[in-house]
This record gives sequence, C-alpha cells and structure tokens, in this order.
Amino acid sequence: MNAGNALFIVGALLCLVGALSTVIARSPIRAAMGLLITIIGIASLFLKLSAQFLAAIQIIVYAGAVVVLFVFVIMLIGADTSAGPPKSGGSVGSRIVAGGGMAVLSGLGLLLLARFDGQPVRFGPAAVGHGDVEAVGGLLFREAIIPFELATALLIVAVIGAIAVARSKARPRPAPPESHESKRLFHGPLHPRDAQRPLSKEPAE
Amino acid sequence: MDAWLSNPFVHGLVYGVVVVTALMTVTAWSIWFERKFAGRMQSRTGPTLVGPYGLLQPLADALKLLQKEDIVPKDADRVLFNVAPPLTVLFALGAAAVVPWGPEQIAADLDVGVLFILAMGGMVVFPVWIAGWASNNKYALLGGMRSVAQGISYEIPLVMAALVPVVLCGSMSVSDIVRFQLEHGWLIYSAPVVGFLAFLLFFLASLAEANRIPFDIPEAESELVAGVTTEYTGMKFGLFYLAEYLHTLVISAVASALFLGGWGGIGGLAPGLHWMVLKTLLLFGAIFWIRWTLLRFRADQLMTLCWKYLVPGGLALVMAAAAWVHWGAFAGTTATPAPAPAEQGAR
Repeated sequence: MNAGNALFIVGALLCLVGALSTVIARSPIRAAMGLLITIIGIASLFLKLSAQFLAAIQIIVYAGAVVVLFVFVIMLIGADTSAGPPKSGGSVGSRIVAGGGMAVLSGLGLLLLARFDGQPVRFGPAAVGHGDVEAVGGLLFREAIIPFELATALLIVAVIGAIAVARSKARPRPAPPESHESKRLFHGPLHPRDAQRPLSKEPAE
Repeated sequence: MDAWLSNPFVHGLVYGVVVVTALMTVTAWSIWFERKFAGRMQSRTGPTLVGPYGLLQPLADALKLLQKEDIVPKDADRVLFNVAPPLTVLFALGAAAVVPWGPEQIAADLDVGVLFILAMGGMVVFPVWIAGWASNNKYALLGGMRSVAQGISYEIPLVMAALVPVVLCGSMSVSDIVRFQLEHGWLIYSAPVVGFLAFLLFFLASLAEANRIPFDIPEAESELVAGVTTEYTGMKFGLFYLAEYLHTLVISAVASALFLGGWGGIGGLAPGLHWMVLKTLLLFGAIFWIRWTLLRFRADQLMTLCWKYLVPGGLALVMAAAAWVHWGAFAGTTATPAPAPAEQGAR
C-alpha cells in the first residue's frame, strides 16, 4: 500500500463516517458536524486525484460557507426543537418501505456501475492537472463562460428575491405626535395661557 | 538520505515537526513577551518572579494549567466539548504548512498555497463555535455565534486581500509569490497604492479572523464573561489561549510572505530564513502594540466596518490589481506563462 492509497482510505473512511453520523445523529448540530467531516473527506479524495484546487475550493465553499449557513439556520430555528427521539417512531411498515426503497436504489446504482455481463465499468485514470487552477479557470472563463455567467445572474436574482421576500413591507410610520414648544420644554400639562408665551425670557424680535 | 528526504511525506513530516515545535515555542514565549510589553506600556513590570526577568513564566503557566481540575459541565455535549480545543490548535497550525520560511524551508509547497491558508482560516470558526455550543452556557453560545458571524463576514475581505498578490504575481503558490517579490520588489511598494492597501486589508481581516483586539468580541470579557472559553478549565482553556496566539503568529508569517517579500533581504542584503523570522516577529509585535492601544469594537460596529467599508474596498482593490496587471505595470510579467503544475509525488 503506497501513500496515495493510504490517503484514499483515510478520505473514504472520513466520508463514510461523516455521512453516517449526519444521518444517524439525533442532534442537528452533530449532524452538521458530520457533514463537515464528509466534506473534509471529499476534499482529501480530490487531493488523491491530484486536484488540489478543487480540494481547497471544496473546503472554502462547502465547509467555510455552506456548513456555516446550516449552523446559522439550525441556530435560528432552535437546536432543541428537533432534538430527542421521535415520539412514535413511525409504523413498522413505513420503516420497511423506507429501508427497502433505499436498498433498491443502492442496488440500481450498483447495477449501473457494473454492466450486465458482471464486469464493473472501470473509469480511466484522471488526467494529470484536470483539477488545477488553469484547468478549472479555462473551463469557467473560456469554454463554459456563458453558462457560468448565466448561473451567476440566476444566483443574484435568487438572492435579491430572497431578500425581497424576507423583508417585511415597509409600513407607513405613524405621524410623530404634535409637540408644542413649551411642552417640549417642561414635559407637563400645558395651560392655554402659557402656550401664548414665548419660550425664552428674551424679548422677541 | 537525500532521496529518502525528498519523499513528500517524509519531507512534510520532518518539516512539520520542526515548524510546529518552533511555532509552539515562540508562541509560549510570546505570551511572556506580551505580558512584559503590556506591563511596560502601563507602567508596570509584568512577570518578574519566575526565573530571570520572569522568563520561565510560560512554563509555570503550563504547569499550573495542567494541574487544574478538568471540569465538563453536566449538560454539556461531552464529545464536542472535548474535541473543540485540540481542533482550534490544529486549524491554527494548519496554515503554517504552506508558509515558506526560506528558499527551501517549506513543509508543503502546494501550488494552491494561498487557497489552503484561506481554507484553514475559514475552518477556525468551527471549533470555536462547537465549543460555544457544546458548553451549554448562554455566554459561551453567544460568543460562539459572534465568532461565526465575524468569521464568515471577515473571510470575504480576507479572500479579496489575498487575491491581490495572486493577481499581481500570477500564482497561487506562496513560495512563487515570494520569488516574484524577490525579483520585482515587495508588493507593499512595488504596486504602490494597491499593494499597501491590500496589505492593510489583509492585516485587519486576519486580526478579525484571529479574534484579536480590536476585533475580539467573541470573548468580550466585559459582556460575555469569557465567551466560548467560559466553561473550560485547565489545559483545555490553555489550548484555546495557545491557538489564539498561534493563529496570530501564523497570520503574521503569511502577511510577511504575501506582502513583505518573505525571506528577501532588506536593502539588497542576502536573503535568508532570518529575514522571514524578523518580519514575522515585527508584525507579531505590531499586533501586540495594537492590542494594548485600542479598544474593542461593538458587535454592530464590527459588521458595519466589514460590510460597508472593507468588502467594497476589497472589491475595488481586486479590480485595481487586475487593471495594474492588464496594463503591464510589472514590465514583462503580463505574458508570463503559468508555471507548470508541480509534481506532487505520491499524491
């Protein structure tokens, strides 16, 4: 076993452990941390493919931004609202349906990977430098510039839309109560006689 | 021997041990230095009792921390509570892996080194936040939330400031950026206004990422007791303390590599490891100076500074740097072919 394989095994184990703990964990915070472990595992798999740029971006974008957003959402909703075991746990039938559906889906995935003659499809080795800065930059800004820009425009529209939806409509402010000059000075009930007087003792011009 | 050392894993291991040991030692004595420094600034003497000039104070502190009772609060999330302190040190140290201390003294010369540093900086918020949440203490939780909010806000100007040297030098490898500066002069003056402003922006944003004063609202002791470290005792608290200083030291090293010419000599003197150490320690000292001079921001002032001033400023800087390169301010560098991707051995 060489070092690259060791890296693969570590990365794959991180992915599996993280994914399992994301699904199994009762506390949403622990689930988010499991997701974080999965993302670090995926980044090390990118490293194994010598796609260092993708690995760094994976950490920055997914761990540094997406998981942080999850954490924020969890904190906003309240981490304790969904903690604890579910009350009824669902019926046995629903569990069987869910587990069976998952098994069928995984089997389908395996079938797609393995041809029907039983030989697994072998992917070619990753091209050297397929995930470095030049390759990804060339793809983004040369070959796929139009879809890329369209996607950014879509995201900006989505962000603006989200802000517009989230912000409540500006209500008309209630008019400020009319304040009399002498009330402003003394904060007290105003005798009608005093209202006629000037505010200061200096003679009015 | 040479062939054996050039194996990237052995190389990384050896240099990793050296760098970690050196950083840990410097960090321990920087705490002594800071206490002396703060003492002198405030007409006190600082530590004097343990050893000559109080020089053994860090050892005494460590012994004291090790002897303390290790308390985990009853309703705390035990696993996360215990995992958080070592993780803070891990991520704070992680960025040091790609910092070039000299022409050959680098643990891992990644060709995406700058991104790696940013990734590690972004990850630092997690252990702090985990600690805040797992403590099950409202002050710790508030501190953790502030830390996350501050971390993701200041990461944006940090990324933009780090983009400026990348754009100017045309490489994401930290050692390539230093070599470019050896050739064309330090970025802080060879790209006059842009480089200097980018350096300031990088410095400010990394201070915020490291939770140093004036950006240390996650552990504002006047509001939040001790922030995320409220429930931690003994060496676990010590790890948080250590991580803060380590992070500060590492960002000083990164800033001096990205903007101050790394191991390049001052005034045409021969380049070498000592220049990098000198620049790093000077920046580190400047951070202490800032800490004992300035007050703490309020949480809303912190966000205002970031989103209203630093982020637009960072965007403008990146545009300016791109224009700078486009119109060929560094003669002959606009058309340099990208360096061939470095062979990463067994990876």
